[in-house]
Amino acid sequence: MNLSIWRYSHLTLAVSSFLFLALAAITGIILSFEPALEKINRPTTPSLSQVTLAESIPVWKKQYPSISQVEVDDFHSLVAKSSDFPKDIQEGYIHPQTGEFLGATKQKGAFFEWINALHRSLFLHELGRFFVGLTAFLLFLITISGILLLIQRQQGIRNFFKGIPKDSFAQYYHVILSRWSLLPILLIALTGAYLSLVRFEVFPVAKVNLEVDFDKIKDTPQKKLEDFPIFKNTSLSEVKSIEFPFSEDPEDYFTIKLKDREIVVNQITGEILAQQAYPFTQIMSTLSLDLHTGRASIILAIILAIASGNILFFIYTGFAITFKRLSGKSKNQFTAEESRFVILVGSENGSTWDFANGFYQQLIKLGEKTYISTLNEYQSYPSAEHLVVFTSTYGAGDAPNSASKFQELLSTDISQPSSIQISVIGFGSRAYPDFCQFAYEVHHSLGSKSWAKPLLDIHTVNDKSEEDYALWAEAWSAKTGISISSKAPLKQPNNFRNLEVVSNTSNQHDDTFLIKFKTKRWTKVKSGDLLAIYPANDHRERLYSIGVIDKSEIQLSVRLHENGLGSGFLHRLKAGDTFKAKIVQNSHFHFPKNSPEVIMICNGTGIGPFLGMLSQNNKQVPCHLYAGFRDKSSLGLYQSQLDEYSQQKKLNTLTVALSRETEKLYVGDLIKKDAHQIATILKNGGVIMICGSLAMQKDVMVVLEQICEKELSQSLSHYQAHEQILSDCY
Amino acid sequence: MFKFLKLAVIALIVSLGVSNTTQAQTTKYKCMIQMTNYMGEGAYMVVSIVDAKGAYDKTLYVLGSDKKWYKDLKEWHKAFSKKPSNLSAITGASVTGGDRSVVVLEIENAKLNSNYKIRFESAVEDKPYYVKDLEVPLTTDGLAAKSEGTGYIRYVRFSPAN
Repeated sequence: MNLSIWRYSHLTLAVSSFLFLALAAITGIILSFEPALEKINRPTTPSLSQVTLAESIPVWKKQYPSISQVEVDDFHSLVAKSSDFPKDIQEGYIHPQTGEFLGATKQKGAFFEWINALHRSLFLHELGRFFVGLTAFLLFLITISGILLLIQRQQGIRNFFKGIPKDSFAQYYHVILSRWSLLPILLIALTGAYLSLVRFEVFPVAKVNLEVDFDKIKDTPQKKLEDFPIFKNTSLSEVKSIEFPFSEDPEDYFTIKLKDREIVVNQITGEILAQQAYPFTQIMSTLSLDLHTGRASIILAIILAIASGNILFFIYTGFAITFKRLSGKSKNQFTAEESRFVILVGSENGSTWDFANGFYQQLIKLGEKTYISTLNEYQSYPSAEHLVVFTSTYGAGDAPNSASKFQELLSTDISQPSSIQISVIGFGSRAYPDFCQFAYEVHHSLGSKSWAKPLLDIHTVNDKSEEDYALWAEAWSAKTGISISSKAPLKQPNNFRNLEVVSNTSNQHDDTFLIKFKTKRWTKVKSGDLLAIYPANDHRERLYSIGVIDKSEIQLSVRLHENGLGSGFLHRLKAGDTFKAKIVQNSHFHFPKNSPEVIMICNGTGIGPFLGMLSQNNKQVPCHLYAGFRDKSSLGLYQSQLDEYSQQKKLNTLTVALSRETEKLYVGDLIKKDAHQIATILKNGGVIMICGSLAMQKDVMVVLEQICEKELSQSLSHYQAHEQILSDCY
Repeated sequence: MFKFLKLAVIALIVSLGVSNTTQAQTTKYKCMIQMTNYMGEGAYMVVSIVDAKGAYDKTLYVLGSDKKWYKDLKEWHKAFSKKPSNLSAITGASVTGGDRSVVVLEIENAKLNSNYKIRFESAVEDKPYYVKDLEVPLTTDGLAAKSEGTGYIRYVRFSPAN
């Protein structure tokens, strides 16, 4: 059987029942507390197994002549009905041996009754019961398909409890917990389904119907109740209920329901008039109820509660896994080992994935065994014939996030057993220097491997150009003879947010301006994240570094470029305008959580994210800002905000370099001057954040390199590896 | 033989009971309701006195404590809604198939042997409703006999409460 069949059924069953299942699980957890609470509500009495009917019934009868019934409830308490109790109480707990009245029975809590009705029938009576029963049955099937999925995944039942690779939180704990809660969940599902079947009379659970032959009832020899043999030989722990004779007439008798049978006892002679064992179905349904509710044992109730909690967890993690798979990052149907085609992706913010996924889908549709993963997950591909790399470039020719370890991996002894034909396609924008630099590097280093046989020369795609992609797709099809569509599999960007412009200073300054947007309160955004805008309403995307001011406003610091697509668009926006944009998480450039001190280095509009971080530095982590501008007027734009943060002690020192004033200073010069202080901060675990132009970054890095070597006798890369140097430059 | 004896005993005790109740002029009777072996939820039942025309005179007992099901006992609920009274002292648990329930009914002596009936009305969730699951003439003979029900009640018996 194919893995995907079990996975498909597991998922389909889960999706079709998860709402009911979640409801049943939540109400189930609440109900599991009922046995414990009920137990507290009852008087404590000695063990029932020590007391026989002969020792108790006569005592009770003497004390309460009108006693009509005694029931042993689910918690081993004796509930008696009589009109002889004090204060007109009709039903109360009594002591097994002395018959002492121990208090009136309490109504089941209305809350639990309500939850119980919801659990059993969703307040929909028969229809609801049907759905709940069906859900229990589906849960059974889900569990079975889950077991099969797990056996297959572990390659055999013998490895069932062996270790599993930790891909992600959701996936790992979904599997780990499922192994432990398998049995209780099966128990819940089976007993629940059984109880529903009984409820709908699918099994004829015949009730015991004792026929008493009244002609044979004798009134001699008269015996005392304490001398009845059946009473002497039966202890209270075997009893479910005792119905007392309705009157003293010999035709009225004791009806005693035991755990396994029902008996009728002559009240004068003590003779057993009739008896009948419970049918198997009834014993099963009592057992099911005991097991399903955990009423018989508090430990069982706790186990059931945990298992119900696990069901909720499985619903959550199951969806997390599914969404992740659907979003394309791990949807492989085939393993890396068995696949003929391998696609490796290097992407910073995901747009390259759209191309790679489209290509992957086409190959899968053609029936080709294809495997897709990030460049960082590079491994050995024993069956591969083709390797296709889709990668973007980050910053100044660096590897994007999901490819940062690739070059290192490639240089280790991961080897490919047979030769593989390779093709590299780079994604980027010619608006930036070092266009597709990383793709070239990958192409180059793959080319040096003996197993790699270049199928095509490197191709590049500028600004998601469909023509560029088509060129590559046609070339690849021609070479391999596998016809794939040359149409770019571009998804229209989705999950847009509507942003409203609050203010724009574009009319006050010529070239640099601050623009603020309002966001919805629940928008998840942090300073350092990127705002992606689509100025021409097509696939062309422009990214801007976000500063979050006052929790709910996004502020961008933008420099207007001549014919700039993005900057021109933003420059034209006025307060009150709305437009659509996407927020792209950029977690590597967030304000460090546990840093004792932070140095912020920027030039020009690179100050944008820092303004946001400073505005939210409520913990007053010492911050030192080194900012470079052209002249005083470009600093003026930010002066009031900076003054405010200094006053609020969110910013400790501000050092400014002006490159076009009398004393021509650059940021690098400022760093050099404060070399000693910067070294101390680095040594103490402080973080340096750099934002601005790539030229500035290069300068600053050179200076930092020198500082590290001179003052700390460590290389800069040491601090980079410890995430003490963060940069976001363009 | 037994029947006669029983009648005699009941007649004797009933008369004793009458003489005992000086103030309220009422007598308490134990009433046993034995259910048939129907499957399903507990039956909600109401025991009332009805006059010769079948009009509700007094509610004697309600078996079933959740008020939301009372509307299922249609006829009684209609009459009761018009003339509500306090039920708390005469309410007990609903009864499931095969079980029996013993309740105490308090009946005015004046109504005995005066053309009244005791009506047992029953309803079970999603199952038919019986206005007259059982009607027992409120007579000395009626209270002495074992009366067979037509719905969820198999039979009802009375005995004087002590």
